[in-house]
Amino acid sequence: MTPAPTTLTASGLTLRYGGTRALDDVSLSLTRGVTGLLGPNGAGKTTLLRVLATAVPPDGGGFRALGHDPRTSAGRLALRRELGYLPQTPGFHPDFTAFEFVDYVAILKELTDRGARHREVRRVLEAVDLSEVRGKRIKRLSGGMRQRVALAAALVGDPGFLVLDEPTVGLDPEQRMRFRELVAEAGEGRTVLLSTHQTEDVAMLCHRVVVLAHGRVRFEGTPAELTARAAGRVWSSARRDPAARAGWRTGTGTFRNVGDPPEGADLLEPTLEDGYLLTLDGDSAAVTA
Amino acid sequence: MSTTVKEPTTDPTPADAAPARAAHRTAAVLALARVEARELVMQIPVLFFFLLEAGLLVWKCWDEEGMDAFPVLNTVDRDTQSGPLLASIALLICVNVAVQRDRRNGTAQQFGVLPLEPWRRTLAHLLSVVPFALLAALLVAVEYGWSALKPGAVGHGSLGELAVGPLMVLLTGVVGVLLARLLPSSLVPILFAVAVYFLITSLLMTDGAPEGVRRLAPVLDAGGGGGDPVPSDLLGRPASWHALYLAGLCALLACAALLVAGGRTRALKAVTAVALAVTAAGAVGQLPRDTAALEAARKTASTAPERVQSCTTRDGATYCSFPEWNGVRREWAKVVDRVRAAAGAPASDLRLTVRQRIDTSGGLEVDSTLAPSTTPGEVTVGTRWGGNRVGEFAVGVAAVLVAGTEARADALCDGRMVTVMWLALGSDPHPLTTFRNVRLDDEVTGSGVVLAPTDPLSLTAQQTEVLRALLDRPRAEVTARVKAHWRDLTSPRTTTAQTARLLGVPVPKGVETCADDE
Repeated sequence: MTPAPTTLTASGLTLRYGGTRALDDVSLSLTRGVTGLLGPNGAGKTTLLRVLATAVPPDGGGFRALGHDPRTSAGRLALRRELGYLPQTPGFHPDFTAFEFVDYVAILKELTDRGARHREVRRVLEAVDLSEVRGKRIKRLSGGMRQRVALAAALVGDPGFLVLDEPTVGLDPEQRMRFRELVAEAGEGRTVLLSTHQTEDVAMLCHRVVVLAHGRVRFEGTPAELTARAAGRVWSSARRDPAARAGWRTGTGTFRNVGDPPEGADLLEPTLEDGYLLTLDGDSAAVTA
Repeated sequence: MSTTVKEPTTDPTPADAAPARAAHRTAAVLALARVEARELVMQIPVLFFFLLEAGLLVWKCWDEEGMDAFPVLNTVDRDTQSGPLLASIALLICVNVAVQRDRRNGTAQQFGVLPLEPWRRTLAHLLSVVPFALLAALLVAVEYGWSALKPGAVGHGSLGELAVGPLMVLLTGVVGVLLARLLPSSLVPILFAVAVYFLITSLLMTDGAPEGVRRLAPVLDAGGGGGDPVPSDLLGRPASWHALYLAGLCALLACAALLVAGGRTRALKAVTAVALAVTAAGAVGQLPRDTAALEAARKTASTAPERVQSCTTRDGATYCSFPEWNGVRREWAKVVDRVRAAAGAPASDLRLTVRQRIDTSGGLEVDSTLAPSTTPGEVTVGTRWGGNRVGEFAVGVAAVLVAGTEARADALCDGRMVTVMWLALGSDPHPLTTFRNVRLDDEVTGSGVVLAPTDPLSLTAQQTEVLRALLDRPRAEVTARVKAHWRDLTSPRTTTAQTARLLGVPVPKGVETCADDE
């Protein structure tokens, strides 16, 4: 099978906040489709996304996305013209209607033909299932609807590179499912980088996954490869196994352990989460839960 | 960033997937400016004050007084300047809030990575106030045009004076944007407006401030607050220079806002330099120059107006006016003709000279009372015309016909006052209304002070009684008696009682005394 063409290549990205290395020599490559960015709190996910979204320049290293080098102002502008960015806590103009807000963003994306722009705004609002409420002021919309407005704003102009920072946080299960569907649709033909805490999101959406911890890339590959890391390393026991790198009580009262199993252990089918935990290798608080 | 980065294997951006995206940055700025202008219109303070201004203008045009039929355009242009003041302040505050919207609503982060940079967005905000300046210009044009198109309009206005109102709107809008970029806080524009108000009123507009400093205020001291209009060349207002100064200041502050927002293009730097030069040129150009010549011209116009006036003669009367008032002479002539027609010979044949006069000795802001002329047959007329001024002028003409000079009329305290008032009012289409209007107390009974172009005259209660009786009689009959007894009626020895007898009306009771007046 021919590998998908690389759309983003980052090499040696480094960024410090005071004495903390938020990004430590991060190198990765992305292709079209949805790539999940997993990592515990403070792993540097948001920082990496902000760097790749050109919101903040790295201290070291660099990247090219969609053929543009953001180190030059022309390259940065060209990349921004093809970028859709949904930050972790998007802001809104509460007195604007959903249509006005997305239209406003469309203007900032230099969509100047009024008729074409309005058609595009209607298209993205329909894509996120907000056509019915497009005339409603944002302050009157629910949290889930607002999140979809923010996604519509990121999608407007049909960007080739979409950066989504934990877009499903705060959504109820039904809204999350709807959102996953939207992101999956957005990933068709685009490069989407999705930061999340939720391994389910990655399992259901992503064709590739990057695991980040302490500002470093711990894994880069497909979800299946991440899952495969835990093959033969997950077992069940009646008590917490002190030899396990991570273990937790399940609903049946038994313990699920991840690590190097003792001989004769009752091995279980690994999941993506098991692979993720093993990759973190004790870095996450969740591991000791 | 020193690491060498691999080239991507392909550039996968789908060219056909992009919607209509004309990468025309100017068009994007203009589109954003349109949106921001629409948002500003929807702001209640802006909407309210601009509607209020428009409403006041309509009311002003609708509810006209007689004098408004003869507007002096070199004061009308200045009167337009203070109109948009409240709307300007509303615009300053609302545009400031609009610029800070991203900061307030937390959209700065996601908008920060969009192609239209902050300084271009600032440019859009600056452009969004332009329609309001144009709206102010339209209101100014309507207000001025309404006056200028009247048949009785006097003189001409100055484009520089007319530009001040709209430029002030533009300036406040630009200041609102600049403040938002420099000091992003919602309280700042309000504090700024208050501070500027006190700065202007307590420092720039005080008498003690040097003229050059006073002229740095956005609106020049009106210079015509209470004073009568004067010929344009005596105003001494550097209107065009001041408009240039304001325009330059608008551009300079706009450039400052763009620079603060991160604009660093060569074109912007060049425009900043030009704006600075224009502002400086305007500020220097409006500095007072050759004040001695101006003072001399004002003195000449006040003390020897004949040197700068032209005259025309019509039906035995000469009408002399400052050039801008030439068109009003025929209105003066109508009054002179009807007053003279009611007088007996030889007064009806007396050669009158109607002389327009001003008094700038106390400054243009002071409403000075003109001193009565001592020249025989000379009647003074001011620079305002229409409404009450017509009746007052008729009194002035009648007084000179009866007393010979304005100075002598000043001392009338006998039956001649009845003759004067009859001449002024007898041929008036609405004599009682005019009588009320020319009296200081707005009454038509009892004693009172009667206004004239120069010093006022005194009317006793008895004289008022006789006059009222005369106004109730057929005009032709009274006119015939006036002409028949002209010599006696204009004699200083004829009392009010004798005048009543001569004119065939009841003699008023009581002892007449000039001390009876107000």
